[in-house]
Amino acid sequence: MNFVSRRDFLKIMTEALLALSGLLGLGGLLRFLGYAGESKPPQVYDLGLAESYPPGSRTLVANGQYMLVHKQAGFTAINTSCTHLGCRLTPGPDGFSCPCHGSHFDLNGTVLSGPAVKVLNSQTVEPDRDGHLFLQAF
Amino acid sequence: MRLSLFLAAVLLVIALLMAAWVENRRPQALAVTPSLTGETEFCITCHADLNEISPSHPVETFGCVICHGGERLALDADLAHSSMRGGANPSDLSVVSESCGGEQCHSGSPAEARDHIQRVQTSIQATYAGAIANMRYTYGAQPDLNAIFGIQAVQDSETATGIPALAAFDPTQENNPSLQTFAENCLYCHLYVEPLDRQEYTRFTGCAACHTPLTDHAKQDGIPDDVHTLTTAIPYTQCNTCHNRGNYDLRSMTFTERADHPTSRLEDYYQPIAQFTQCEYTLDCVDCHTRQEAMGDGDLHANQKDIEYVQCQTCHGTLEALPAMQTLTDPNDLAFRLAFLNPVINLALGDTIIVTPKGEPLWNIRLLPDGSYEQFGKATGHRFTFRSVMGSNCQQNVDEQESHYCHECHAVER
Amino acid sequence: MRPNFFHHLHPPSIPAEQSRWRYTLGAGGLAVFLALVLGFTGILEMFFYSPNPADAAQSIQIISYHVPFGGLIRNLHYWSAQLLILVSGVHLLRVIFTGAYAPPRRFNYLLGLGLFVTLILDDFTGYILRWDQDICWALVTGTNLLKTIPGIGTFLFRITVGGQYACESALLRFYTWHIFGLIFLAAVLMVWHLFRVRRDGGIAVPPPEARPDRERITRFALVRREVLAMLIAGAALILLSIFFPAPTGVPITDPAVVTEEARAPWFFLWVQQMLKWGDPFFWGVLVPSVFLLLLALIPFTFAQPEPAELGQWFPASARSAQIAAGILLLVVLLLSLKGLTS
Repeated sequence: MNFVSRRDFLKIMTEALLALSGLLGLGGLLRFLGYAGESKPPQVYDLGLAESYPPGSRTLVANGQYMLVHKQAGFTAINTSCTHLGCRLTPGPDGFSCPCHGSHFDLNGTVLSGPAVKVLNSQTVEPDRDGHLFLQAF
Repeated sequence: MRLSLFLAAVLLVIALLMAAWVENRRPQALAVTPSLTGETEFCITCHADLNEISPSHPVETFGCVICHGGERLALDADLAHSSMRGGANPSDLSVVSESCGGEQCHSGSPAEARDHIQRVQTSIQATYAGAIANMRYTYGAQPDLNAIFGIQAVQDSETATGIPALAAFDPTQENNPSLQTFAENCLYCHLYVEPLDRQEYTRFTGCAACHTPLTDHAKQDGIPDDVHTLTTAIPYTQCNTCHNRGNYDLRSMTFTERADHPTSRLEDYYQPIAQFTQCEYTLDCVDCHTRQEAMGDGDLHANQKDIEYVQCQTCHGTLEALPAMQTLTDPNDLAFRLAFLNPVINLALGDTIIVTPKGEPLWNIRLLPDGSYEQFGKATGHRFTFRSVMGSNCQQNVDEQESHYCHECHAVER
Repeated sequence: MRPNFFHHLHPPSIPAEQSRWRYTLGAGGLAVFLALVLGFTGILEMFFYSPNPADAAQSIQIISYHVPFGGLIRNLHYWSAQLLILVSGVHLLRVIFTGAYAPPRRFNYLLGLGLFVTLILDDFTGYILRWDQDICWALVTGTNLLKTIPGIGTFLFRITVGGQYACESALLRFYTWHIFGLIFLAAVLMVWHLFRVRRDGGIAVPPPEARPDRERITRFALVRREVLAMLIAGAALILLSIFFPAPTGVPITDPAVVTEEARAPWFFLWVQQMLKWGDPFFWGVLVPSVFLLLLALIPFTFAQPEPAELGQWFPASARSAQIAAGILLLVVLLLSLKGLTS
């Protein structure tokens, strides 16, 4: 057992306690800054009647956030956010292109080229029993 | 010095640990984000065990603040309750427009049938205009029974009764001491005020006066289930918080509350001088008395007699005529909406119900295939059947079919 | 050991007699510490506070009730602000009652006085940022008082309020005054004030030949004492903030709603009492300005303390200044007491 003088012992203990205070303070500070508030429930968009989207049509809906595609199998909503870093894609005749870093996607959202690697997010949309289409944000 | 520094460091660590401990002891804040407002509320952090007020006002849609006001973010009771409307009762008539009103809510469309707030504010139960006019006429303060004063000033710009406004009754402007005593002792049966503090007759003000039926214990601490309830299934006991509380004496201008707590409706609930037929001591008041009678028709009236119009013949018909009926063909009919609110009867398209002379649906009474009728008590759900007068052994004269003639034979001797 | 940055901020050594707490009360140093706590907690609050009349009070409720340790940070900010005014007042009185305003310290005395006024205004602007019913009338009367000043009054009102009705438009202006305008001024004054303390010779002491006790303490010991004071003050502030929350009122919804008692914040209670006596410009602007002027003139008008009597409380040679200051203090205290109890 080392013989530490009382003076040094107190000094070490004080410094340890101050370090502990610092850690406690830092922990509290991080919790304080990490507060994000209540998350709102996802928004639901009313897309209107299913029959207003003829088969084969591709329509931008919900303020341009989604492309509603009416295929034989049914309705699909493709999220127009680039899967690279989230820019709003520009729809074109062959698919989508991203103005930020040059990613290209085909009509179904598969990556053709560019820094993006993941396919675009999409979801099927079912009309309800009145033939109305509602899309929950995803 | 080194020791002092060490001790001070200990003190600091203790203070920080205490701060952390107090923080972790805080109860988890519980949130509701009602779909009508989109603004998160934390009322249920403390009020999680409160029952939902009615199936028509689900908390996921309304939340609490849209009706009650209050500070939605505060977790301190005093601050949270500080901006609540009407204290515990947001339907008090002083705040009812902000709490219950709105075009999508109970101020409704210009069609008076949906503007319940305007109806109630002009109704006799709020203005008490008839009693005030009668008293002032009796004591010579006015030459006739025209309604001039109400409990509070109210206006009706589209009046169909010729009464465009009532001024606020001010007893300090009355010369007759009896009228002043009337104001002191007798103005406890209208919608702006609670009855004097008695266990048997507790009632809120405003819409809750009828739509929040209370039982005896309602004035205890905490929030009992029946206090946080809105219903259209109103039992007769709630009406009796005004309509059967005791006796008044005009000469001494006093009101003596009855001291008993009657249970037998026939034997000792009602005054001995009154006559009652079986309907009147079996059904609830709301089974016969219509929405217009209770809540007004949107116009100012001078007397209760002007708005009460339901008679025995409304349901039972006369010797020469069946009661007025209506077959329900429109799924948006008011009758379906009322039956949905209080499902004691499963009305379907094609059912025939009785309607009043003013077209109000008696949606809880349905014509049966054999020509008789079935009725479901709105407050009890009990099923009754009855027949029309026409074709029965009724011996009344054909031109004497008002209710008081029916009472001659059908009222019970007590 | 080698002196670090904080050691170098202090003189190599100071006389031991004047470094004792019973002489300085540590009030000036404590004021610096409280100001630092204020700055730190204030910046943390800026992450969540919204200077928008519609949601200012609600953002404070979010800080107080929902952000982890938000209530603690807010309470720390509130208490260190009120204690700063009190401690600065104590420091001012200590300087007067120990004669530490004598030349060459007269200019620094004025700097300190200016700093004091700036901090009071910062406390007031911070009070307004609560934007609840309790502050509304203080805001209206305070800004209307500005308008009573002849000549520049309307202009002063415009730069503080930035609109017609104080309770609507003033919030953003007061926010910027609070976190930038006044703090910038206070920071300049504080740094200058501290610099002048060193340049004027440090803590006021008698000349060497008049000192019976020749003991001195090193800068290391001095810094250690200051650290000790900060640790104790910090712990006390935290404990105070845990158990005594800052006031929160009902958010302003309708400016026309009057609260039952319209009370000035505690440091202006004395002015509110005087305003009950008559003309607002006279009692609300002129008289307080005269108070300030009298305080400012103390080093210039009254008999200076003898150099040999410096470094102690109540030197006899400066009695007249002490009596004058005592009277001013008494008046302010009595008026404030009246405001508290009425």
